[in-house]
Amino acid sequence: MNSCGVMTYKEYLRVLKEHSPYDFSDYSDNSIYRRIDKVMRDQELTLEQLSERTRRDKEFVEQVVEAITVNTTELFRDPAVWKYLYEKHLPSLAANNFINIWHAGCSTGQEVYSLLILFNELKLLDKVRVFATDISRNALEVAKKGVYQNQIDRGCIENFNSVFDDKTGDNTRFLKYFDVDEQQDRIGVKPFLKEKIKFIRHDLVKNDVPFYNKVDVVFCRNVLIYFNVKLQNRIVQRFHEGLYNNGILILGAHEGLSGFFKTKFDRQGPVYKKSNVFHLRY
Amino acid sequence: MELSDRKFKVVVIGGSAGSFSVVSKILSQLDPGFPVPLVLCLHRLKHVRSGLVEGLNLKSRIPVVEPFDKEKLKPGVAMLAPSNYHLFVEFDSTISLSTEEVYNHSRPAIDFAYSSAAYSFREKTLGIILTGANKDGAKGLKSIKDKKGYTIVQDPTTCDVETMPQSALKLFEPDQVLTPDEIVKVLNSLVD
Repeated sequence: MNSCGVMTYKEYLRVLKEHSPYDFSDYSDNSIYRRIDKVMRDQELTLEQLSERTRRDKEFVEQVVEAITVNTTELFRDPAVWKYLYEKHLPSLAANNFINIWHAGCSTGQEVYSLLILFNELKLLDKVRVFATDISRNALEVAKKGVYQNQIDRGCIENFNSVFDDKTGDNTRFLKYFDVDEQQDRIGVKPFLKEKIKFIRHDLVKNDVPFYNKVDVVFCRNVLIYFNVKLQNRIVQRFHEGLYNNGILILGAHEGLSGFFKTKFDRQGPVYKKSNVFHLRY
Repeated sequence: MELSDRKFKVVVIGGSAGSFSVVSKILSQLDPGFPVPLVLCLHRLKHVRSGLVEGLNLKSRIPVVEPFDKEKLKPGVAMLAPSNYHLFVEFDSTISLSTEEVYNHSRPAIDFAYSSAAYSFREKTLGIILTGANKDGAKGLKSIKDKKGYTIVQDPTTCDVETMPQSALKLFEPDQVLTPDEIVKVLNSLVD
């Protein structure tokens, strides 16, 4: 309780941590507070009532977690980044026997599919194995189905064509990957892409990694922004351990690495490459 | 009490349609020794990812940067909310970015920048709303007022589009309604 005897958000997060497998205490303060605030308004509950239900109702906890996690993503968000990966970076993986990818925080999956399309265009899809993880049950369900609403309206085809400098205007390339229903503004990912991906429910806050392979690519865009620096560093450390030497980490356009990790990765445009520099663990 | 005695921790400026020239004017007349971190949250076209920060830097007398996530606010540096991200001001004077849902048809949403600053710095927040064709920012600016921060609305008669300042004025009574020249004066009065 604070000095006025009113429960604070921090205390609610502590209740949530004690009575569920979820720990949001190292999320960025402002965005988590505002999202809890939204849950309270939508459910017409006070923090005390919210805590009370959190203590006794497991299914309610799942609903709260769905409501406070962010699930926005787009196909080929920031086309310039995708173009760079396609032209400059991913081709160098052709020498590998396998290309293992961890997409951490895949949400509803648009960017996993975007990435697979790049590999298919590079004729490397056969080598690719993808682990796509997210905390949200609902988001993973959508990702598995691969059917998306209102993407055409938001310019996904234009973004797609600009990545490949495709100026033919007949969208043949796009139609290789998606079934399109223009009337309903609905697109569906073709099965040959979907079957490449192993979707796994996983909370990045937890210290485990939900598979045993080391990976060549960690893809984690606009996920770490929801965490404070302490948690960000812990997760980047885990990415570093999970990557092969010269493996790459891809972050969002306005995400960076903090001081210490800058020495453990070499930055090349939007890509952070694991460097061979040996460090004793701090 | 003099405004400079209030030791503001952040100044947040929000604007939309028509605000580029006003912001540019303010920055070009600002004292280079401006002692407070400045946050600019301007609606911008999602597909035009660059150019705005360069454009503002041309005339500005303090540096304008697009921050990375968790970057620290710095006195005398203007941080421009990056395109297609929401921006929050945190307790520890860092910036958090977010890609969560579009709000008031906007990302960045000015309401989020204002209300996060109000939440983090309370009465140490100074909020300014400029010309714009949207109601975004009104509620957020009110939250600054509610926390006893200082609020300025651009005089609607000097606005290209007056919807945004008018929505704020409908919602609450700000500390001042000022022309761009007067806004510059107030900001420069924060320099000791």
